Amino acid sequence: MNELTIVVLLAIALSGILLWLLIPGRRSSGANASSLPSKVDDALPTAKHYAYFPQIRQALSVADSNYLRETAPPHVTKQALRERRAVARGFLKGLHEDFSNLAKLGRTIAALSPDVSREQETERLILSLKFQVLYSLVWLRLSAGNLPIEQLEHLTGLVGRLATRMDAAMAHVSALSAGQLPGSLGT
Amino acid sequence: MNRLESFLFWSTLSFEIALCGFVFTRKVQRILPLFAIYTYVVLCGAIGVWLTYEYFGFYSLTSYYAYWGSLLLNAGVRSLAIAELCRYGLRAYRGIWALVWRVLAALSILLLAHAVTDAWGQPNRVAIYGTTLDRDISFASIVILAALLIFRNYYGIALEPLQRAIAVGIFLICLVDVIGNTILRSIFTGYLLAYFLSNQKTLWDALSPQFERVRDMWSTVHLFSFMISIGIWCFALRKPVPAPSENPVLLPTEVYRELSPAINMRLATFNDRLVELLKP
Repeated sequence: MNELTIVVLLAIALSGILLWLLIPGRRSSGANASSLPSKVDDALPTAKHYAYFPQIRQALSVADSNYLRETAPPHVTKQALRERRAVARGFLKGLHEDFSNLAKLGRTIAALSPDVSREQETERLILSLKFQVLYSLVWLRLSAGNLPIEQLEHLTGLVGRLATRMDAAMAHVSALSAGQLPGSLGT
Repeated sequence: MNRLESFLFWSTLSFEIALCGFVFTRKVQRILPLFAIYTYVVLCGAIGVWLTYEYFGFYSLTSYYAYWGSLLLNAGVRSLAIAELCRYGLRAYRGIWALVWRVLAALSILLLAHAVTDAWGQPNRVAIYGTTLDRDISFASIVILAALLIFRNYYGIALEPLQRAIAVGIFLICLVDVIGNTILRSIFTGYLLAYFLSNQKTLWDALSPQFERVRDMWSTVHLFSFMISIGIWCFALRKPVPAPSENPVLLPTEVYRELSPAINMRLATFNDRLVELLKP
């Protein structure tokens, strides 16, 4: 590749990034610190999808699978299993949203903090990038059908505990910032 | 100047006068003084170059230096306007600003050092220095703007409409300059190199029409993109500029100190669990 090709490709790549970032009204991937409402409790995200796991577990249980295999014709079983995978993928997507919301909490606190640690911010950025990669791999394995659905339960348990702790943390943030966040903040 | 050059010059000057009018009447200098200075410098530079053309002649050496000098001056002042754009609005978020400005400054130093070393290695001619420096400064501007927007997006601090329009306009100018200057430099250092060498004077007459053609094409593209950018800025300034948003009220330091490590620890645990999930 000659210099011109490299420069043009780089310029096009950067243009793409810039335009993507500049499109107004695009759903922000970051915490919207500039439009944080007056009450921290309302602004900070909470995990919610993990709460539906008991129902999902029931629908995706091994007993159900075995029963299907024993009683239903093969094509029906296959279709049912495929649909179960789709449900599991949807659920995984919900868990991703929960995770993103929790990461967003970290970024919102950082944006509104008078002093941030470079190490903490770098670590969170790396963790978020790592999560994206791992999530894609799990999603692919789930789609390929070689990830036991039961393993999702461990993941969900973790998000559930995380959410409970974050609820407590948010209450703590509210207490610490009581009366300090104006209603017109960033509006 | 030929007809095309005259047309481009006068239409660009009209756009620049209109922009300066908007900047002055909307009192942009109160919010973004460096951007206001940039618009005035661009206008003064254009008038200065025109006066040089009139006084010394379009094909004189003085006009040649004046053109390249004004181009590099514009690039320099534009860089200051970008620095102001970086500072604007983010400075109120003291914690992340302390982090962001260091990253942006390091990136700027690195890119400017690259621009200087790149120009240093070129044949000793103003046009080749000029295209190399202008190209590299424009590239640095695009990278800095991209980094700024990535930071803002990551922390959810959106640019206000006027600042966004300024960023789009600068980005367009820089993009065209990067691509155009790269092509121009490869032509200047390629088959037109003899035109810049004093020991190749015998070839100058033969190469002159080609040099003029390349210059006309480049001027057309460059000035058209510049006029589009000025149009974007004028459009953004058609309405009175809203007052800058109030500074955010920051949380107590303890909130970050206590919660950030806890959040990171839990995110790490979550990743560990995903890794476990992927193990055969």
